[in-house]
Amino acid sequence: MKRRTVLVTSLVVLAVVVAFSVFLGTRQPVTDATDITSPLLGQPAPNFSGTELDGAHWSLRNDLGHVVVVNFWASWCGPCVVEAPNLSTFAWQERHANVDVIGVVFNDTLSAAQGFAAHYGSLYPSILDPGGAIANRYGVVSPPTTFVINAKGRVVVTLVGPVRLSQLNAVLGRVRQ
Amino acid sequence: MTLTWLGRSFLYVAFAGALGGVAFQLRALRTKRPSFAIPFAVLALLGIAGAVGVMQYALITHDFALAYVAENNATFTPLLYSITGMWSALEGSLLLWSLLLAAITLGVLFYYRREKTDAVVGWAAVVLFGVGAFFSALMMFPADPFLHNPAHVLQGQGPNALLQDNPLVAAHPPLLYLGFVGFTVPFAFAIAMLITGRVHERWPLEQRRWTVLAWGALSVGIILGAWWSYQVLGWGGFWGWDPVENAALLPWLTATAYIHSVIVQDRRGLFRVWNLSLAISTFALTVLGTFFTRSGVLESVHSFSSSTLGPLLIGLFFFTVALGVGLLAWRGDALRSAVGVDQPFSREGLFVANNILFVGFAVVVLLGTVFPLLYEAVNGTQVTVGTPYFATIAAPLSVALLALMALAPLVSWRSASREVLWNRIRLVAWASLAVVALLATLGVRHLAVLVAVFFAAAAAGSALRTLWGVLVAARRRGRLLGALRAPTTGGMVVHLGIVVLAIGIVVSTSYTQRSEVTLASGQSTVVDSQFVTFKGFHVVKDPLETATQLAVEVDGHSLFPAVTTFNGRATTVGTPAIDSNLLRDVYVTFDAVGGNGTTSGAQVQNNLPAGSVVLGVTVEPLLAWLWIGGLMVGLGAGVSFLRRRHVEEPT
Repeated sequence: MKRRTVLVTSLVVLAVVVAFSVFLGTRQPVTDATDITSPLLGQPAPNFSGTELDGAHWSLRNDLGHVVVVNFWASWCGPCVVEAPNLSTFAWQERHANVDVIGVVFNDTLSAAQGFAAHYGSLYPSILDPGGAIANRYGVVSPPTTFVINAKGRVVVTLVGPVRLSQLNAVLGRVRQ
Repeated sequence: MTLTWLGRSFLYVAFAGALGGVAFQLRALRTKRPSFAIPFAVLALLGIAGAVGVMQYALITHDFALAYVAENNATFTPLLYSITGMWSALEGSLLLWSLLLAAITLGVLFYYRREKTDAVVGWAAVVLFGVGAFFSALMMFPADPFLHNPAHVLQGQGPNALLQDNPLVAAHPPLLYLGFVGFTVPFAFAIAMLITGRVHERWPLEQRRWTVLAWGALSVGIILGAWWSYQVLGWGGFWGWDPVENAALLPWLTATAYIHSVIVQDRRGLFRVWNLSLAISTFALTVLGTFFTRSGVLESVHSFSSSTLGPLLIGLFFFTVALGVGLLAWRGDALRSAVGVDQPFSREGLFVANNILFVGFAVVVLLGTVFPLLYEAVNGTQVTVGTPYFATIAAPLSVALLALMALAPLVSWRSASREVLWNRIRLVAWASLAVVALLATLGVRHLAVLVAVFFAAAAAGSALRTLWGVLVAARRRGRLLGALRAPTTGGMVVHLGIVVLAIGIVVSTSYTQRSEVTLASGQSTVVDSQFVTFKGFHVVKDPLETATQLAVEVDGHSLFPAVTTFNGRATTVGTPAIDSNLLRDVYVTFDAVGGNGTTSGAQVQNNLPAGSVVLGVTVEPLLAWLWIGGLMVGLGAGVSFLRRRHVEEPT
């Protein structure tokens, strides 16, 4: 009996590898953030406020009447690296058009987040979320997650994954109609 | 069209060489006729070298008749980045990959030229040629580097901005590839040993030499990659647990386990099946890593090229594992050694612990890397796994590995007597404790740092003690230089390198000081005991890039942090500047500019006076030792590669 262990183990490993290979082989390349149906859609956006990375205070209430793009990110999050320049470019394009981009730091250290923001997300402010209170209110489990809030203060889109510039522009067009 | 056809012809020659190698080698194994393996290996190498030559000629002369050149080169790309352009995207990377594989195949066959009738060498050659044929075929069909570009291109795009920003692009990818490709050799020999059923001879230890070569290249490649991202991705980070970084780490972990457990097989004849499994897994993980990088299924900062190769690479991964596991199932039970580890507390027992830790580490990293895919398959949404997950597991595992490094080199084989061990370890233990006590009196209160330093010091102590023993033995024989080629020398140098590297990581990450200062032109300030002066702006414009530089002086050294826009790509990247010495690194970023921001792409803050800037100043103590440790690891691997050739012992 004992002498068959290698055979048995091999067969088990083989079965696992077959499943694993089929699984990986059928994956599609990641493209854009996926538009998900979160329970927040159509609801008034939960209010939140916090301290920006450079110490200033920020509150959603002050942005009433603006379209607000809320982006949850972390310095350790690879897809956030990919999308940060897009959010920056978007914020820069729309800076005179009553559109605000606000980052919310998700489960990260202050110094890493500051370093990241300085390098990547330098064209919009980001606030801290100690204890993940804001993330909880928005039901965010993983960065990057992006919410778009219309001028009436309702959540119109929830995007999970890295956003592209064209995606943000398309959402903005929809919101403005 | 000439270049296209010339390049393709060379690829056909390479493919023919590899395929011919497989065919003739198989015939030779069946009929015991001479195999001509070396001539075929030469043919394959000449073919690939010719193709590489054509590609380099096209890149250096900016010949946009090749689509690859038009996409990865521009008329203003300097020579260095034209050359490195060959591995700036998928198709060209495959050329580099195949070149290295062809060279290694020839090298291995030449090294064993006197044993070419040995069936183990024969089967290994079949596998090496087979893998070579696979990669040549990839370039002949789905990933053709010599695709003709019918459009008339005047200027070209130039390489990706991140790939023309730092000369390390000339060293990091080739070393990484050398590591990946090098693991084909132990894989080939593992398959050969399984087919012939001869695992008990000197071959496993012979394979260690090639594994160590690949492992050393991979280690230095990974460290250089960390150094690069540290210099280019301005938040002071050097490791992000990015899927592609993990892809390089996975085979490194299993290869490290293999390098250690093969010693046990040599000394005690144990772990035969296990070692073969590790050699096969290591190669399979390099293929899986290539799949992660090239298929685009995982989001990564390294996604310079996603392609349609995904299914083919996963096919190779599956084939590799299936072949290995199938052979193990067939042969495995007959190959197992009759005895086991008698005493858990012995050298071989500690090697088992080492293997459990390294393989466990690899499993954890693999799980974290593919978890986003699994999650998406089940829940339909994306999720990110990052530092919080990996670091909580990597930190304790690394400390445990340091502890093993401290203990294992001093413990005897078979069974360790307490008195002998205490005799050997006493001095090391007291010295390490003294170091920790000294640090504590100097005000270090970080418990994690003190624990890590204690084990690191002990590991260094036991490595030095072992080296001392080798030196004494060599002197007794009257050949001091012989110590350099003794079996343990290289390994212990690697251990010392790992200790230095570990201290660099622990201290720099635990004591990073980050601050932001606002300075007007000509103003100075003191940040974390560094004297920082802002002297003014420069705008640098050359055909390659437009950069807004700040002239900053840190402790008398001039630094130029900048925001750079590369022409042709319209991408803007921040370029931090670093002042590095053995005690600390000062990392300066250009964070924001005052006024209405006409001067740069950096953040505009309207409440700052025009002409002033915000500098990010990060001070990281002892960071330079991370790179020094990495180079020591490479050096040790080199010494280990050149160790005395194994002498066949009568069995």
